[in-house]
Amino acid sequence: MIQVKNLTKEFGRIDNGGGVLALSDIDFQVRDNEFVTVIGPSGCGKTTLLRIIAGLIPYQHGEVSIDSHPVVGPGPERAVVFQNFALLPWTDVLGNVTFGLDVRGATKSDSQAKAKELIKLVGLEGFEQRLPKELSGGMQQRVGLARALAVSPRILLMDEPFGALDEQTRRLLQEQLLQLWERERKTVVFITHSMEEAVMLGDRVMLMTPRPGKVKEMIDIPLKRPRPPDIEKSPAFVEIKEYLWENLRAMQTHQS
Amino acid sequence: MTASEAVIKTTAAKNIGSSFASHWLLRHWALEIFALFAGAVIWESLGWGLGLQWLPPFSQVIVALFQFVASGVILSNLQSSLMSLIVGFALSLIFGLVLGALMGRYRIVEKAFDVYVHALFVCPSILFAPIFFAIFGLSDASRVAIIFVYSTFVIVINTATAIRTVDPSLVEMAYSFGCRERQIFTRILLPASLPLVFAGIRLGMGRAVKGMINGEMLIAFVGLGALAQKYGAQFDAARVFAIAMVVLIIGLVGNAIVQTLEHRLTRWAD
Repeated sequence: MIQVKNLTKEFGRIDNGGGVLALSDIDFQVRDNEFVTVIGPSGCGKTTLLRIIAGLIPYQHGEVSIDSHPVVGPGPERAVVFQNFALLPWTDVLGNVTFGLDVRGATKSDSQAKAKELIKLVGLEGFEQRLPKELSGGMQQRVGLARALAVSPRILLMDEPFGALDEQTRRLLQEQLLQLWERERKTVVFITHSMEEAVMLGDRVMLMTPRPGKVKEMIDIPLKRPRPPDIEKSPAFVEIKEYLWENLRAMQTHQS
Repeated sequence: MTASEAVIKTTAAKNIGSSFASHWLLRHWALEIFALFAGAVIWESLGWGLGLQWLPPFSQVIVALFQFVASGVILSNLQSSLMSLIVGFALSLIFGLVLGALMGRYRIVEKAFDVYVHALFVCPSILFAPIFFAIFGLSDASRVAIIFVYSTFVIVINTATAIRTVDPSLVEMAYSFGCRERQIFTRILLPASLPLVFAGIRLGMGRAVKGMINGEMLIAFVGLGALAQKYGAQFDAARVFAIAMVVLIIGLVGNAIVQTLEHRLTRWAD
């Protein structure tokens, strides 16, 4: 379980007048095997929140813990999927997928076997020897996903993973992610700025407000799983999506 | 995109790319050879036509070069020059890469050394010749030292910039998988910075060759530099040009070695 209590994050020093309050009093939990999507306007600190949970940046106040162990840095139970893919351009698909295993000291044969299994799972069989630049954006992010899954994390932290992809690729990857998740229900925190994506994927949506980032509401998504690709037409889906949009639009007009 | 579509797309792109590249390369080579040939013809005719003492015809330079090679004069001098070049350049490589990497990674090291490195880079390295002469006398050490100051700072600066400008998202990715500082260096920073580092090494190689000749002409009086000095004093332009050609070849060979290594290690960046 991921537990976040009264989390506050400042960049710079507020009391010097030069800082920015990025997150204020964030309070929520993500249960084991739960898929939580996080949505909010730009500047609400959703990526900052994810990076804190990932242990990549420090925080000043509050508590962030995983199974009641406080987060003090990255850990083997977590893996991150990055918005810009963050693939190593000098090594091929296989080398990228084995990265996490290699740095954790797995033997070469073990890490290659595991990587090949995951490359197959994300549909990139036959592309093991390709360099990232030879792949489309969608394929690159599949490599990113395979790399994260290769280290067998219990928690998957996804930072707008499909945000840089075109609409069609994004839809395909969403469906594939859902299939993967049905197979093995990991705990997922998924940052997005797409309302459809937030509703389609999540068990719950966390709606955030900007400047400083706060949790506005946790919304349950009562849609049955496994979710079919045409789930978007269901009244419940439309209703939640519209509700999110009302809220997000209100935040935008409030700002401008 | 399905897998088979992607294969078709990438192989098609590859084929177009490679046939285009080979044509281009062929024409490029032809052009290069033609340019060299035209240069030789112009030189030859100017040499005969103008009759200037400092511009002997190209053919006389070639004859002088062959005489040098045949008499063994070049070989013995070349050997001593190359030895100091190799030692001096190797030292500047080690120093330049290590200091550059530390400066690129750690702000505090950068702050401490940046002003010195840039000052020494801008300062004409030949100014140090009398100082090295005073320290090391007429030994190989002064030549090595001159080569070192000529070539090392451009390597430091390039390496530091290369490390500093590595995509921070790759470093963050590595942290997220639990990499320690040493692994960040070996698995991310070093490979990612190689293309820019090699650019610095090539510049450093060029400067090392300059340093070798300048050092030999001004302080050590041995090797190719001393030979050039000697024939320069006799106004024997053909022989001076012949030595210049040898130096040129050393520079080109050095560059080719670095480039081959570079191509092998950074093919991904093409």
